[in-house]
Amino acid sequence: MRRYLLNRLWQSAVTLVLATIVVFAGVRALPGDPALALAGEDRDPESLRAIREQYGLDQSWLVQFWQFVSHAARGDLGESIRTGTPVRSMIASALPVTIELSVLAILIAGVIGVGAGVVAAVRRGRPAEWAANALALLGLSVPHFWLGLMAILYLSVALGLFPASGFVPFFTDPVANLHHLVLPAVILGTGLAAVIMRQTRSSMLDALSADYIRTAEAKGLPPKAVIGKHALRNSLIVVVTVVGLQLGALISGAVVTERIFALPGFGKLTVDAVFQRDYPVIQAVVLVTATAYIVINLLVDLLYSVIDPRIRVRGEA
Amino acid sequence: MTRRLWMNRFSSRICRRSMVGAGALVALALIGTACSPVDPADGDSPGGGQSSAAGQDVFGEAADAAQVKPGGTLTVALSADPDKLDPTLSRSLYSRYVFHTMCEKLYDLGPDAKVVPQLATALPTISSDGLSLSIPLKQGVKFADGGTFDAAAVKTSLNRHLTLAGSARKSELGPITSIETPDPKTVVIKLSKPFAPLTAALADRAGMVLSPAAVAKLGANFSTAPVCVGPFKFASRVAQNSIKVVKDPQYYDAAKVHLDSIEYRIITDSSIRSANLKSGDAQVADSLSTQDAPTLQKDDTVSVLQSQSLGYQGLTINIGNANGIGNPLKQLDTPIAKDPKVRQALALSIDREALVKSIFNGLNTVACSPVSPKSEFTSDAAQVCPAHDPAKAKQLLADAGVSTPYKVEMITSNNPDSLRLAQALQGMVKEGGFELVIKPVEYAALLDQQDRGDFELLQLGWSGRVDPDANIYNFIGSTGSQNVSGYSSPEVDKLLTDARQATDKAERIKLYGEVVSKLQQDDPIIYLYRQRNLTGVSKKLLGIQVYPDGVIRTAFAGFAK
Repeated sequence: MRRYLLNRLWQSAVTLVLATIVVFAGVRALPGDPALALAGEDRDPESLRAIREQYGLDQSWLVQFWQFVSHAARGDLGESIRTGTPVRSMIASALPVTIELSVLAILIAGVIGVGAGVVAAVRRGRPAEWAANALALLGLSVPHFWLGLMAILYLSVALGLFPASGFVPFFTDPVANLHHLVLPAVILGTGLAAVIMRQTRSSMLDALSADYIRTAEAKGLPPKAVIGKHALRNSLIVVVTVVGLQLGALISGAVVTERIFALPGFGKLTVDAVFQRDYPVIQAVVLVTATAYIVINLLVDLLYSVIDPRIRVRGEA
Repeated sequence: MTRRLWMNRFSSRICRRSMVGAGALVALALIGTACSPVDPADGDSPGGGQSSAAGQDVFGEAADAAQVKPGGTLTVALSADPDKLDPTLSRSLYSRYVFHTMCEKLYDLGPDAKVVPQLATALPTISSDGLSLSIPLKQGVKFADGGTFDAAAVKTSLNRHLTLAGSARKSELGPITSIETPDPKTVVIKLSKPFAPLTAALADRAGMVLSPAAVAKLGANFSTAPVCVGPFKFASRVAQNSIKVVKDPQYYDAAKVHLDSIEYRIITDSSIRSANLKSGDAQVADSLSTQDAPTLQKDDTVSVLQSQSLGYQGLTINIGNANGIGNPLKQLDTPIAKDPKVRQALALSIDREALVKSIFNGLNTVACSPVSPKSEFTSDAAQVCPAHDPAKAKQLLADAGVSTPYKVEMITSNNPDSLRLAQALQGMVKEGGFELVIKPVEYAALLDQQDRGDFELLQLGWSGRVDPDANIYNFIGSTGSQNVSGYSSPEVDKLLTDARQATDKAERIKLYGEVVSKLQQDDPIIYLYRQRNLTGVSKKLLGIQVYPDGVIRTAFAGFAK
């Protein structure tokens, strides 16, 4: 286990270094200049020069990269070129919003997806399976922004059930917090729910035709226990992996959802920073995202090896 | 074909193209609005008291204290995130919305776009040689941190605007040599040369007075906790998402302030902004799309304020900006850069009337010059508009020896409104013998290409300033910092310099008229239309006003009883 862990940690570190270099170069390869984007209408050569000097944009890429890496290593992510706010505090306030949104979305998607998947597998070939399949197809193919707009138009504007925008921190008012987040979370979770449903269905079908299920049935266990304890539990291994792999899709979905519902989350922060060519913010958010990805992948792998020890053995070999 | 029929066909074509070219989100925004037959806006459309005829301004009215209940939080849906909340460093237009509630200025604009005193008590007294301005100040005014507002504070602020690294105000303030404070209620500004636009500059961010104590404490980080004189004071900011200000009990006119707090919520998509307005999650929304405004005007719960902007939208032609801005001019070797006849032909092949009617529901207005008809420096000469004449355009192209269709590439911002405009122009100029190739680019990249001189033709606008000098000099003066056209005319330079230094208003009006005549011959910029500042306001709210500077005045509003 220890060797497996070390191996995975080493791989993660290399990935992180590569990601940092790619991001740094990528941001600078974008057409457009942060000083110009910041100056907007009020630009004159003198103030452009001053902005470039102030943020070290007049330095060579190598110097800028070193500055970024050495500061980041000390936990200093710089400050936003646009607003002057420290990037660390921007991330600190945006990250919890996205995490809460994503966790809610995963929960909602998990309940809907696993439920529908089990139903589709158990009621194979019946209308229930058809309905579940149709819903999954819809969930996968309808884009978030369209769903979001429709939700705002019908549920917020016409019926007034949910707020169309805004955010209340959980600790200020938990009820208002959930009221603001339910709609975005449902919309964010649709794609994931569909994937979970399909995965649960197919692995449940595999499980249901396996020998151990026949044994369980032969022992006279009630169907509930056969499906819930034996088939579902074994099917969930694959589902956990899929959820892990889909986290990326979740974060990119959050970009759209957060913009539509004006949620102060990480996705919105990222996109706005890109539009404004706010280099320190883009670099920092991508660095944090990359780290999160790597850590999540690592955790999924570890979780996997805990659930199924055979993987650990193979990894060590 | 009748004109109306032509326009409908025209708009449906634009619609089809937009659906393909502008991407799914854009397409979605257009569904149900742009794709319905175009109804030229007319004056008698239903929509309650606030609807108005095309071209007519609705600024909103001041709140009647008897009809307003005290308290409440106003949520304003803002179309863009303001940048630094520091009057010295701020460059975005949107910061002015927030500043309006928390940083008062020496001067302000009235609804007629004339300068009126705010923290000053009267317009400046200017010495006969134009080199000295004396400004009398209000007494008994306190900053939000309790400090006293006086001449010394004004001097500190102006000096900061002039000297802080990266100051965006320095050029606006002109050739100031010193600032004197003969007594606590008078500030005297000394100049090396007369500078007529100074008073107007003091009615914008350059005239905002910062608390000297806060400046001393925060220095260049003033934006993290700005302190000025204002009806509201800064409370908090969530980056790229919201800004909150709360009522300042120290404010000298606090009795007139009804609201407890104002939250500015940044919602960049215009259709979502208007959805928030309709759902009541926001009570004010700025920069409505001309696509959404007609629907909102028909909504019983919302009224739409509109004011004509002082700026313009136009086409800039690259004449001499081959090496990028700031480098010596070098003429491009293309017919459109070399021959004014080709540029005139392009100008003549554009039907501005049809453009504003079909693309902007008649809400924007035609523009042929950088001088707004709302400016006090306008004249007949400054408003002359050459008629749409594609036949003459073709003739001019033939005279210039150019084979038609003459292909020109235009870069434009990739937002839905710009794309619709570009496609409309493309259809129009065909008749005049031009083939317009549209290259949509993201805004930050557009600015970059513009400054590097990497374009033939570009479509962009200018939000406008009160003094005409700020709308012309930088853009077409040979040494103008934003002369991206690379235009250079000694005659225009002289007229502009004279107008800048003239202290007589009639003289300035005459000079700007002459500048416009000359510009219409040379066409470095083809002026197209003036945007309307469209602001949606919930009818539950009283006292929201929008003046021609486009700033939404929310400070003295309140919820109706």
